[in-house]
Order: sequence, then structure tokens, then C-alpha cells
Amino acid sequence: MTDTSITHTPDTASIGGAAASGKIMIKLENLGKQYPKEPKPAVDNLTLEIPEGEIVILVGPSGCGKTTTMKMINRIIEPTSGQIILDGEDVTKADPDQLRRKIGYVIQQIGLFPHMTIAQNIATVPKLLGWDAKKIDARIDELLQTVSMAPETYRNRYPKQLSGGQRQRVGVARALSGDPAVMLMDEPFGAIDPITRDRLQNEFLRLQAEVRKTIVFVTHDIDEAIKMGDRIAILQEGSRIAQYDTPEQILTAPANDFVADFIGRGASLKRLNLSRVRDIQLSQWPTVQLGDDHARVLDVLRASDKGFALVLDENRRPRRWVSAPDLQRGGDRPLDEIGLPPEATVEPQATLNDALNELITANYSVAIVVNASGEYQGIVDIDSITEAIRTMRTDARARARIGLDADDSADQAAQVGR
Amino acid sequence: MNDQTFGEFLTEFFDFLSRRYDDLIEVGLEHMALVSVSVLLSTVIGVIVGVTTYRTERPREIALAVTGSFLTIPSFALFILMIPITGIGSPPVIVALTMYGLLPIVRNTITGLREVDQATVESAKGMGMGRGQRLVRIELPMAWPVIVAGVRITTLILVGIATIGAIVDGPGYGTFIFDGLARVGSPAAINLVVSGMLGVIVIAILFDTILAVLGKLTTSRGIR
Repeated sequence: MTDTSITHTPDTASIGGAAASGKIMIKLENLGKQYPKEPKPAVDNLTLEIPEGEIVILVGPSGCGKTTTMKMINRIIEPTSGQIILDGEDVTKADPDQLRRKIGYVIQQIGLFPHMTIAQNIATVPKLLGWDAKKIDARIDELLQTVSMAPETYRNRYPKQLSGGQRQRVGVARALSGDPAVMLMDEPFGAIDPITRDRLQNEFLRLQAEVRKTIVFVTHDIDEAIKMGDRIAILQEGSRIAQYDTPEQILTAPANDFVADFIGRGASLKRLNLSRVRDIQLSQWPTVQLGDDHARVLDVLRASDKGFALVLDENRRPRRWVSAPDLQRGGDRPLDEIGLPPEATVEPQATLNDALNELITANYSVAIVVNASGEYQGIVDIDSITEAIRTMRTDARARARIGLDADDSADQAAQVGR
Repeated sequence: MNDQTFGEFLTEFFDFLSRRYDDLIEVGLEHMALVSVSVLLSTVIGVIVGVTTYRTERPREIALAVTGSFLTIPSFALFILMIPITGIGSPPVIVALTMYGLLPIVRNTITGLREVDQATVESAKGMGMGRGQRLVRIELPMAWPVIVAGVRITTLILVGIATIGAIVDGPGYGTFIFDGLARVGSPAAINLVVSGMLGVIVIAILFDTILAVLGKLTTSRGIR
């Protein structure tokens, strides 16, 4: 992509691929939780690696052990077997309070301290860490700004004076206060109305693009998982991993029936949300210049298999769709007075889902792709979208096959080890 | 009193009040001191008992049963039973009043702590607050309004019961009432009993108002 003017729009914000470092930040090794008097373990021998700087989503039906798994990382729930390795250090037996101060924690109910001001809430961990007052003060203002809340307005308010969305933001600010490398989030947007939730998710993704924390995020909502995750672990009962992969891969190549069922219908449509117009091969339709005479336009149309030509102005901005019948009916009128206006334009960073939505409602069933300054780039038609889906499938299957091979050899190695 | 009109009684009563004014104030202060000490002891002991028992069912039930049973002992009997241990005067009264005052405070401490939102406590835990920090910085401040309500009930109960303490020579308006009792039939009897009773009411109102204000001042604006 050569166009550097592209900016993230809120509803299409996304995190790039894998983190730059490739370092494993959290490693769960054969982790288990067996409650006394329960026939089956809540978490059964889970092994999971979480790379630095990524959002890893634990998702699964209720009762699958995803929350238990997350809460074992900061040892709110103590594991009964296995190990937790945090940044290369075994913390399974470390002092839990010291450990928790290094891990941001956001729960669904948020759990702000109602008797403390917003500033005092945010200051909790820095105080526990023994920072001096000046540094804490500066940190509070910085964090409030980070979550788009004016410090002078909100510092001295109490939680009950805030809206649900604002409380959630303060919850995130509070979890970030001690600048932890790792954050645990348990359905953090679960109790918020859908519109606010969408906005908060986008804000959070933008924030994460700056801070690049390693985040373990629990949800039961597959759509949220697809939107927020760099990687998704789909969990079955006993916290057994059904599939652990990128959202793209999970949607295009579900590992088994459980995953396919869990994703539900419309996986292909969901998948279109994860690809962008700039990533696919655009179709080229005939174009003419605004000043061209009608004979030239007819030539261009005759030379093409498409029924319409796109009229561009001197800045290559789309002005009009014209067809041969339009030219005949229009007589000598200039090109921008005949035919139809060019509706349904999308920018390269739009998702394929946006493009599909546009082209379905457009007159000629195509979406025109323009860059940020409105210059014509190409066309998305239904063929380019089906082609894109086909490519994704092939790629995903190829990747899955490589992954399976790797798993097989790992399994064999493990069996030999036993 | 039958051959006396209410107007005549009032005139005589105000006359009595003005004659015994200094006495009334002094006895009132003694009464307040007695109740204050007892409430303070009840509060300290009650909150400690509440804090140590609220988490587990068994100890919690025992604490409530024991402090509840204290209240069923007739005060007359309890004051007298104290004499061999504490002698007479203020000590037996303070011990008995402290016992009577425990139940509302223990009960409200337990209720208040148990009503603290568990998500809030969990987030405190998740942020690395230890058991003690959680109790002192999160749970007790959040339960505080309920505990203060308990202290106010205790205070009202103790201001009343303290009068019976006069039977073991305890200080306070009880002395007026028992003096009156000893002189039933004489005009002074009514004056003594009524002034003692009014004194108790004034102290009760005064204490309750002070505690209401104190409770408000010590409760965070965020949970008022």
C-alpha cells in the first residue's frame, strides 16, 4: 500500500498482525483447577502461550472454564496443578499481592471503589507500588486524558456521578495505572449498551495500538472475540482448547465441528469484516475523461465487456456512469449531464463487508474505490469479493495444514516424552 | 396531684428546675459521660467481633446469639450481679451497658460488611491489596454508614438503660428517678421523676443529632 494518508476510522480500527518481538509473555503449562467434590476439573491440563503485545481472547460457552483460566493468571483462583510463567519467571508460588500489582485487572462489573474519587481509584496501584505523590498525580492526569476524560472535570468526581461508559473507561485507566505489562479483562464491555460498547471497543483498540500491552480477554461473544482479538482461543468444557488461532484463520478454517458451531452461521460474512478493500485485487472498468467526445466514449465502451464507463474529472474523481443508450439519448449534452451519478464509493481501508454493503444497494452492483483525496482507484464488484473469499479459504487451508503437521510432530514428541 | 391543676404543677416544676438547675446539668453531664464511655467500648468491641466473624457462618451466628442473649438479661438483675465483680458506682453500669450495646453494633457491622459489593472487593484483590488493606481501605469505609446506624441505635438504648444504673449507685438522671421513687406521695416525687425523664430525652436527642452529623462527616460523599 503506497497511500500513506490513510487513517484509522473508528469502526475499522485494527491491530496489525503478530507483535514485533515474538516473545512469549505468559505461558500456562499443564494448568489445572480441580475443585473439591466436583467430578470434573474446571480447567483440565491447559497449555497456552500468549505472545507479548497481543490481545488473546478466551472465548467459549458458559461454564467452559475461561474465566477460571484467566483468574488463575493473577491467582485470584489458585491452580491445583501446573505452572504459570510470566515473562520467563515462574509465578505459581510467588507472593500473589506483588504479582497482582504487576497485572492490570478489569472485570465486567468494573468494581470501582464507590467511596473514593476517580483520582483515588486510579491512584490505588501506584500507591501500593510506593510511587511519590507528584508522580501519582501526573499519572492520574495522563491516564484520564488517555481515556478521553478531562482530568480537571473528573478527578474529584465519585463513581456514582459517572455514566456506565465513563466508569468503564476509568476501570481501564485504573488497570493501566501501574503501567503493567499484562492486563486481564473479564468481559469488560459486557454490561454496557451495544452502541456505547462498540465505541468503547474501538477506543480500546486505538489505545492498545499505542500501549501494546499483553492482554488476556475473556468473553462469551464470538463477534467481540473476532473484533478485539489478535488471537482467539476457543475453549470447550474443562478449558480444553478447540482452536487457538487468528480470527481470520478461525473463521475461514474452523478446526472442528465445535468451532464451526460456536462461530455459528455467517462465518464468511464475518470474515469479510477482517479483510480490507486495499488487500484485494480491484476490477478495472472503462474510464473516460469529462471532456471526451461521445464518439471516443462509445469506442471505449465497445472495446470493453462492461456496459458502462466511468467519467472522471481532471482530478480523477468519479463524476458519472454512462452507457451507450445514455449517449444516444443524451444527444450533444456534456458527459456530466447524462447517465447516472457515481454512488457507492469506498476508501481502501474500508472492510469488504462495507464494500459489499455498498455494492448491493448501488445501481450497477459495484462499489467505486477512491483514495482519501477522492481519486479513482478501481472497482469492487461481486466477482472480486467472491474471488477474495476463495483466496482466503485456500490460504487458510494451507496454513491449517502446516499447523496440523506441526501439532502432529509436537504430539508425537510429547508421547515419546511420556 | 389530684388537687393540683396542671398550671400549678407547671409553675412548681419550673420553680424546681430553677432551684436544682446546677444539679440537673451536673447529673446530665455524668449521664452523658457514662453513656459515651459505654458506647465507645461497645463500638470498639462490637466492630472487632463483627470483623472477625462476618466471613464464616458458624462464628457469625454464635456472635449474634451471644450478644443477643445479653439483651435478654433484665437490666436490674445484671447491674446487681455485677457488684461482686466491679463494686458499685460507675464500673458495674459501664460493664453492663457495654454488654447491652453490643448487639446492634455487631449485627450492623456484619450486615454492612456482608453487603459490600463482592466485585469491588475482587477488584481490590486483583489490584494487589492484601487482606488487611482490603478491610481497612475498602470494606470498612463502604460498610461505615450501616455501622454508624448501629451505633446510633446502641446509643439510644444505652441512654435509657443507664437510668437503671442508679440502683447500684451509678451516676446520671436515674438518681433523680430513684429519689422520686423513694418519695412517692410527696410533691417533690413528681418533679424528680419528670425532670429525670426529660433529661434522658434531651440527652437522647442530643446524642442522636451529634452521631447523625458525625456519621455524615465520616462517610465518603461517594456513598452518601
